[in-house]
Amino acid sequence: MIDNNIEKRIQALHERLIYLKDIFAGKHEDSASLLEERLESFQQRMNAAFVFDPYTDMAALEDLFSYVERRLDNTITPMDRVRIVRHPQRICLRDILENVYDNYTEVGGQDEYSLDPSMLIARAVITRHRGKKTYQQSVMVIGQEKGHGAEYRNGGSVKPWGNAKAMHYMLVAETEGIPIHTYVFTPGSYPIEDYPGAAQQIARNLYGMAGLRVPVIAVFSEGGSGGAEAISLADRRLMLSHGYYSVISPEGAAAIEGHIRPGQRATTKLIEHCASNLHITAQDNLEFGYIDRVIQEPPLGARPWHFEFFRLLRQEVIRATDEVIISTRSLPLLRGLALKRHGSPKADLENLYIRWALSGHSKKRLVDLRQKKFLGLSTSAISDNRPWHTKMWAACVDYVTQPWNSFKYDFYRKHQRKIKVIMEEVDNEWESLKNKLWAPLGKVLQKFEVKKPENYGEQLTTLSTWNHDTRIKRWKYLSPRYKIDQAVTCPNSAEYGCMDLWGPDLFGEFAGVCSYCGYHFPMEPEWVVQNVFDDGSVREFNAEIEARNPLNFPNFSERIAKAQEKNGTRSGCKTFEARIDDIRLVVAMLMGTFRGGSVGAAEGYKFMEAANFALKKRFPFLAYVHGTAGMRIQEGTHALIQMPRCTVAVRRYIEAGGLYVVLYDTNSFAGPVASFLGCSPYQFAVRSSNIGFAGPGVIKETTGIDIPPKYHRSTQALSRGHIQGIWDRRQIRTNLKQALRTIGGRNLYYR
Amino acid sequence: MLNITALLESIRESPYRDNVVVAPHTGRLTFASDISLGQSVTGPTGLWKEKAGTLLAILERERNPKPITALEKGEICALHSELEGQFVQAGTAIATIRHMLTREEVEHIILQQTLHLFAAPERAKYYFIPEVDKKMHASDEPSVKVHPGMELFIMSRMKREVHLNYTGPAGIIYAVYFKHNENIDAGAPLVGICTSEQLPEIQEVIARIKTEWK
Amino acid sequence: MDKKAQLKAEVDRLLSLPLTEHVVLVANRGEIAMRIMRACHALGIGFAAIYTASDEHSGHVRLARELGGDNCLYCVSSYHDANELMSVADNFHCTAVHPGYGFFAEDFRFARRVTKRDRPMIFIGPSWKIIRELGDKINTKRLARSLGVPTVPGSDRPIYEEVEAERIAKSLFEFQVEQGVTHPLVLVKASAGGGGMGIEEVYDPDQFRQVFRRVSNYALRQFKDEGVLIEQRVKDFNHLEVQIVSDRSGKHPVHFGTRNCSIQSSGRQKRIEVAPGFVPDTLEYNFDAAKLLTNIVDYSLAMATKVGYDNVGTWEWIVTRTGEPFLMEVNTRIQVENGVSGCIARLPDHKQVNLISEQIRLGLGEPLGYTQAEIATEGVGLEYRIIAEDPQNNFTPWVGRIDQFTWEPAPWLTLLTHVPQKESYEIPTEFDPNLALAIIWGKDLEEAKQRGLRFLDSLKLQGENAQGQELKANIGFLRDNTTNLLRF
Repeated sequence: MIDNNIEKRIQALHERLIYLKDIFAGKHEDSASLLEERLESFQQRMNAAFVFDPYTDMAALEDLFSYVERRLDNTITPMDRVRIVRHPQRICLRDILENVYDNYTEVGGQDEYSLDPSMLIARAVITRHRGKKTYQQSVMVIGQEKGHGAEYRNGGSVKPWGNAKAMHYMLVAETEGIPIHTYVFTPGSYPIEDYPGAAQQIARNLYGMAGLRVPVIAVFSEGGSGGAEAISLADRRLMLSHGYYSVISPEGAAAIEGHIRPGQRATTKLIEHCASNLHITAQDNLEFGYIDRVIQEPPLGARPWHFEFFRLLRQEVIRATDEVIISTRSLPLLRGLALKRHGSPKADLENLYIRWALSGHSKKRLVDLRQKKFLGLSTSAISDNRPWHTKMWAACVDYVTQPWNSFKYDFYRKHQRKIKVIMEEVDNEWESLKNKLWAPLGKVLQKFEVKKPENYGEQLTTLSTWNHDTRIKRWKYLSPRYKIDQAVTCPNSAEYGCMDLWGPDLFGEFAGVCSYCGYHFPMEPEWVVQNVFDDGSVREFNAEIEARNPLNFPNFSERIAKAQEKNGTRSGCKTFEARIDDIRLVVAMLMGTFRGGSVGAAEGYKFMEAANFALKKRFPFLAYVHGTAGMRIQEGTHALIQMPRCTVAVRRYIEAGGLYVVLYDTNSFAGPVASFLGCSPYQFAVRSSNIGFAGPGVIKETTGIDIPPKYHRSTQALSRGHIQGIWDRRQIRTNLKQALRTIGGRNLYYR
Repeated sequence: MLNITALLESIRESPYRDNVVVAPHTGRLTFASDISLGQSVTGPTGLWKEKAGTLLAILERERNPKPITALEKGEICALHSELEGQFVQAGTAIATIRHMLTREEVEHIILQQTLHLFAAPERAKYYFIPEVDKKMHASDEPSVKVHPGMELFIMSRMKREVHLNYTGPAGIIYAVYFKHNENIDAGAPLVGICTSEQLPEIQEVIARIKTEWK
Repeated sequence: MDKKAQLKAEVDRLLSLPLTEHVVLVANRGEIAMRIMRACHALGIGFAAIYTASDEHSGHVRLARELGGDNCLYCVSSYHDANELMSVADNFHCTAVHPGYGFFAEDFRFARRVTKRDRPMIFIGPSWKIIRELGDKINTKRLARSLGVPTVPGSDRPIYEEVEAERIAKSLFEFQVEQGVTHPLVLVKASAGGGGMGIEEVYDPDQFRQVFRRVSNYALRQFKDEGVLIEQRVKDFNHLEVQIVSDRSGKHPVHFGTRNCSIQSSGRQKRIEVAPGFVPDTLEYNFDAAKLLTNIVDYSLAMATKVGYDNVGTWEWIVTRTGEPFLMEVNTRIQVENGVSGCIARLPDHKQVNLISEQIRLGLGEPLGYTQAEIATEGVGLEYRIIAEDPQNNFTPWVGRIDQFTWEPAPWLTLLTHVPQKESYEIPTEFDPNLALAIIWGKDLEEAKQRGLRFLDSLKLQGENAQGQELKANIGFLRDNTTNLLRF
């Protein structure tokens, strides 16, 4: 009969062995078989009662396991990390709640009875001491729950309403004034469009978090793309040493890189290749600056029995929360001292008490610090080719114009209105007084008034003057396809019986719109630039900012160079100032023709700068999305970080009173829609657009659901409440003008 | 009363339908390289029939090549390969696809010929009057009885609704040929009525088709 | 040479070809297709014809085979599909396209495609730019006004502002009162509209604002432009037209007199046309009718000269009871009723004129070859449109089979029809049920009317529809209306 304790420990070793085999997926077979052999023989000996001192032998065996694990820990590849974080034995949020916090209550549902079991929300308590006194500190814990592989947890892939639930409780925490700890355990969001929509809800979360007035600490284990961003726009971002944080799953990247068709699978080699080239490890992201601190895990990654690790994690989240609180203090000297004390690894945080509530002023500072933190990221991933004098000049102009603009708009306009109101009232009074005085005299005068005969005939039958003959629409820009003598079939012809269109008519005069059913063929980005804005009013800026290959992704520099040559631009985002009937505005255009309109560090930077420029100038800001395929995966987290970063820029612009309008034209998907585009309160779409989080192929791949045709059409997006309206391409100018005039206004927004 | 057995026999003799694929318009014809006589083809597939059927040929007109695909599952039983590379007129026969009838299609054909069909008088949308609609939903088996002059439908067109009375022999509603919110052309059948003496026979035939038709 | 210059050179080459080297695609059906084929045949020009499956038994198919042989004919999916016409034209190596009337006759985009494609052809009709310019009602009205040509009183540009619209409407009402109109009416119509959509009448000035807003909103929804035109609604008028003919130089257009097309169906479709427009020598008018005819001819010529009009075309006029003319629109095509003008026109060789031959000849680049002074007229021509319809019942088209269709031939009668006389004929449902045109000549109005009645009496037209009901035609309507022709 084997001792119960020994049996348990054997069982534990079995599990460690399975885990080791799983995460290495066939690699290091010799080590695995060695351990297996030893374990087997130990067990056999135990069964046969051959063991003299089971406890010593057991300990020796465990040491061997630990030794092998330590040794193999040095060989871990990025893809191994992916397998680690997805392994059912990996620690889960529930383990963290049990072991890191002193007590907790789940508030976001229980087990499978939840709006979305993959999003877990709990109010938790941390107890700290100062002298004899005990303090209870509350936090809102939010994160994805993988539930050790429980099916209903959906692997931590959160549905749109799960993210909405998270946002809701973040706002609750804000009301209660307690810090938020988020734990990122997600391979990515569940890509369905049902309300509130995968992309649009993540965008709302990012926008919301950009302004949360309580400290937010995020801890990354599996940081998969947009799903991770949905809860991680935080003041401090910690990362578990064996986790990954990536713009896309390595499998997804491999499918794109290998041009894999739906139903096929990328080779393991290609997936490994992508995993290592995407630079997804904690160390990589720490170096890039997207992670503030790495929390060291035990060899081969933390599992629920690593109690020492939970103590470390507890220390680190407390430290991070304290640091955020301290950094909002207004006295710089005290702040510096406190931070230094806290930063020391020896600091006994359990016996130190820092109040986690903030004063009004500190809250403002907190938000400002968080926003600036994100705005300052990823600057090294682009190349700024502006000559030094241009940069200097821009800085000088800012220096001069900023005070003037803030005087003009913030002070003068405000008071001007008050003055005007007073003047109008005075005027009204005077008018009514005047009428009273003149009334008797007026009646007399009326009698003498002689009606002048009008020559109606002449007015009604001769040529009138007409200065603005705008009827015959002649587009300034015609698609180059208009030169090709060729018939074109409308994709709706089976449904609506459209006859073939003549290419030169379709791509010239018809502006790419089927004259039978109104189907919109995609057009070039230049079409809108030249046909929507006033003639000669477009002035580009920051054209020199160049998209690069910051991760040295294999063969990617050439592809970027090719896109640059094809489009005649340095990046996929063109930013310019323009006018529509003398309404001035700033436009950031994402070009679907530049690597699918993917957004990398350069595009993100230009977008952010455009928002800043619009803010400084007090102009409306239009994001014209000719097309975007998502964040540029070959730039890894350099691209992904643009999601929170640009959302912060947009939020700062909107909060300063700006009018931010988004217009989608062709295919607009993934990251950008799930962040700085989807957060706009005014999103419109040209009829040609498809809007969503992931394309049909990806949805099928990740969820197994067949997606009906036209699932992402603008009409569907409108029905789901993701966008505010659909425009005909030929009416963009009129509609945009109308939107600026009606939504924007002197008092609410800049005009 | 039709002789259902004979009808079934006649279908059994040629249990297929020949669909002639014609050129939808003029143009130069190129057959798909892997198309040959006797080959089996598929119609549109996918949950929403979103994937086109087997490519038969390409018809190019004004530099616009247009695929001609099979619309039904079947076997190519005639192929006008002499037209390869020719400029053809609209309506020219390209190939014939022999489609083997499925059990549902056979049922449909027999019922259409056996039942008394009540046709739509005008192109409009049709609904059962609420009482009938309730009864239709209440039972899976055909059970709703109709008699001449009975108020049966609401005909909705140009935003006006008109009640429509049934004409024809008394019986029960055996088949419904219209869908909710769908326009029905004038002359298209709305319902198939089975008289009470016909009923056992029809049920037997349906049962027989179910067991015998493969 | 760039593509544009190449295209132009190719079109110039086509225009200088001798007639016999041309092949014309007859891009139409029925009666007009037959007239075009006959004209081509007479001029020694080759042609290619098209038909749709439902027109298989139409006379134009038979005539094409008769005149051009089996290899000049092609079955297409639709007369409305320009791609079909172009691909058939390429297949037959056509050098020109004749659109007839209807279908693509006034479609400037079609004309543009014909002349601008990689293998260009001649579009037999005015140049596409002229079709576009005169096809736009506002443009035509403004062109007319700029030349002092009278147009319907009202606005000549789209009105967007309510205040301005009300001012115009008010003055239109007062203007009509001044003119002695007892029940003034104002029309509000979508400026971007057409085909009778988005038009409303206002009889009460107080109602105007409401109507204006309604039409304006409708226009915005339907045509994406909320501009409206505000015009006087002229009632009680005669419908006259002036036939203009010009060669490709566009420099010296001539006219072939006037026509009166006032006998119309309730849907404003012409039923009887008479040339000339009025007969001041025979009948008494309340106004100087001879002067009026001269005026509208001169106005039309002035506009044609101004735009460089380069083929046949018709200027449509309305003439009020007081003899005031207003330009309505310009039809940049051959009209159905061109035959009545042709039958009374005389050129130096004393023959009747075939305007369709003239159109083809001039369209293909031949010079006019005569002056206005050499064109004379003789007698009165009238044209009946024989249609299967029920004039008693709002001119509802009748559909069915024609079993018998005969008439007594006469030297003064030209009968144009695509309905076969030897066998019975199913009227295709997708086109107008036009059966035949009968053109009758007389030395004066009286003789023309008498001959017309004689023809109608001799006409035998029988058939029945699927329900076994007898054919309905407008013979009675034509007879009734013959009596008062050309009287105001």
